Amino acid sequence: MSIEPIIETRGLGFSYVDGTQALVDVTISIPKGKRIAFLGPNGSGKTTLFLHFNGLMRPDRGKIFFDGREVSYKHHRLLELRKQVGIIFQDPETQLFSSSVKQEISFGPINLGLSRNDVEERVKKAMDDTGIADLKNKPTHFLSYGQKKRVAIADILAMEPRVLVCDEPTAWLDKKHEGQIMRLLDEINSDGITVIMSTHDVDIAYSWADYIFVMNKGSVIGEGTPEQIFYDLKLLEEAELERPWLLDIYDDLSNKGFLNRDNPPKTKDELLLNLANCVRGT
Amino acid sequence: MHPIEKSILALATMVICLAFSAPLTSVLVILFMAVLSILVAGIPARFYLKLMSLPLFFLVTGVLTVALNFTTTSPDSFLWGFRIGRYWFGATGVSLALAGNLFLKALGAVSCLYFLSLTTSMLEIFAMLKKLRLPPLFIELMSLVYRFIFVLLETTDRIYISQASRWGYANIKNTYRSLGQLVTNLFTKSHHNSQMLFTTLMSRCYQGELNVLENSYTLSKRNLLMITFVETALLVTGLWSCGYIRLL
Repeated sequence: MSIEPIIETRGLGFSYVDGTQALVDVTISIPKGKRIAFLGPNGSGKTTLFLHFNGLMRPDRGKIFFDGREVSYKHHRLLELRKQVGIIFQDPETQLFSSSVKQEISFGPINLGLSRNDVEERVKKAMDDTGIADLKNKPTHFLSYGQKKRVAIADILAMEPRVLVCDEPTAWLDKKHEGQIMRLLDEINSDGITVIMSTHDVDIAYSWADYIFVMNKGSVIGEGTPEQIFYDLKLLEEAELERPWLLDIYDDLSNKGFLNRDNPPKTKDELLLNLANCVRGT
Repeated sequence: MHPIEKSILALATMVICLAFSAPLTSVLVILFMAVLSILVAGIPARFYLKLMSLPLFFLVTGVLTVALNFTTTSPDSFLWGFRIGRYWFGATGVSLALAGNLFLKALGAVSCLYFLSLTTSMLEIFAMLKKLRLPPLFIELMSLVYRFIFVLLETTDRIYISQASRWGYANIKNTYRSLGQLVTNLFTKSHHNSQMLFTTLMSRCYQGELNVLENSYTLSKRNLLMITFVETALLVTGLWSCGYIRLL
């Protein structure tokens, strides 16, 4: 992609103390301001890679660049990096440490050394943006899983990062809450923030992402636009990925001549529109 | 109301209630706290009565031992009594009064604590402790412990259910084994959780202190005045009913 990268890695390698190779020679370039999805089975190294993005883990080999500058592990540079790259962890239970939603969200902005008024403002904005303003005074332990997830997102949004990294944001959520979170990520992205997420859900990755990386056994085995990824049948087989149902139906119906062969549909509505147009003969 | 005001009110009332062995003060305290909790704080009366009845079992058993005396000589002073072998058991006027007094006193103290815990959240208590200049480390630990009690309970519950659904508690032998596994798993899980928590905090620029936004409370002069008035009134009633002061 020709767009300027926000995060780049070159030859990244990392092994855990037990010898497991978690990352093997990962060289990627993440375009600025886009919606990025990482696809891959459990244990393929997505989370480990994410933890490298804001310096929580240090690679054994290779280099990471943020906004054109090599990541340094000096204290103040790390803090600066973590201000720019926020990670939302998969299990909100491990992220939420405070019993008060408001205090929980205020933790990040206070660490950034902002004034009390600025912190108040950011907390309020983050709560409004994630739709949890009404939970302000509720104790954390009375929240539902979906609510905790949104508090976890507000936690990071309040720090106003330039890159938002979400580790499986839709895991364990029902369809309704999954939709809410995805719309929220869209809104965040439309403010110019690069959103990176990992997922197992090929339908979400296909419809939502601008660019997809496919990981397996610690390596990035494929990257491209959703169309490029999901028409690369060899890659899908290697990564043990299913195809999105929209594409399966589109391919089948257009091969039989029931659909116009323009662009593959990204949403159910686009598919239905194509079908309706075809039936009407336009 | 400011959490400090609430604590002063509850603790001062409790001290007065415990200091005077006067049924009148105890009854006044019980009524006062009931009115505060039910009418002012809006705790449902039914729920409040249920809470008040919780310590009754301990109170009644405790007070019974005070009320009952036993003697081997002739039980002249007993208002009521019975004999087992050569022992006479019974209650005297003095012991009954003492028991009644103790009962009311304990209930009064309990109602003060209920008032505090029903109207003050843990967060307000943390904020108050901070105001009272307790070391931040102590308060941080307290708040982390408080938060993770719930995580721990939930984890315990999940492990228990998963064990029970596989006959983990079907008989004594299984129960012992399951319980042991539950405890060790809980320990490793907690350890893992604490490490994850550290990572997530680091990700948010944690630098050794859990600083968060504190709610600002302001002490109200009116409330403080009212508290002083109520406490003085209780104090005077206490002194009067114990005979320390006499009305002319």
